[in-house]
Amino acid sequence: MSGVHDIGGSSGGPIDQSQHDVEDWERLADAINSALGGKGLQTTDQHRRAIESLPNYRDLGYYERWTAATEKLLIENGILTQAEIDEKAGEIERRWGGS
Amino acid sequence: MRVRPAEKPGHVRAPDYLKGRSGWISCVLGHFPNPEDVAYGLSGMPEKTLYRVSFRQSNLWDGYEGPDGDRLYADVYEHWLEPEGER
Repeated sequence: MSGVHDIGGSSGGPIDQSQHDVEDWERLADAINSALGGKGLQTTDQHRRAIESLPNYRDLGYYERWTAATEKLLIENGILTQAEIDEKAGEIERRWGGS
Repeated sequence: MRVRPAEKPGHVRAPDYLKGRSGWISCVLGHFPNPEDVAYGLSGMPEKTLYRVSFRQSNLWDGYEGPDGDRLYADVYEHWLEPEGER
């Protein structure tokens, strides 16, 4: 098996088929990804690889994987630094009254 | 053809359940930059040929009870295929 994503054909339990509405942040995650691709800053293949290599892959939801992988690629491709991302995340946290 | 039973670390485009399994080339889908290299920011050149490969379902799953003619079709890149019998 090449990675945690490569489980096709393995026996598994029942599939959780519950649905939920797409949340705003999920639309934004999708849009950012499209924009990065459109600007030639990231490829779908890179994004897939980054998703597959997330150490906490199984703990994350679909778009949580997307955002974690995008963050990883932004740093890897030299577009943003971890410090810049953390600083902005902290700023947003304060603005929205996080604890 | 047979799908190479190789273990390659990182991003690969041959599903685990097909490794080492025999099938037949159904058609040629085209030539594309190797996505396993593009995934790491490389060019993926030279392009690799992508084949649609047909597998007997009964060759893939233990105790498969469906009709004998059932097939599974998968898109597999040339570097994951080898002539049957060759290692």
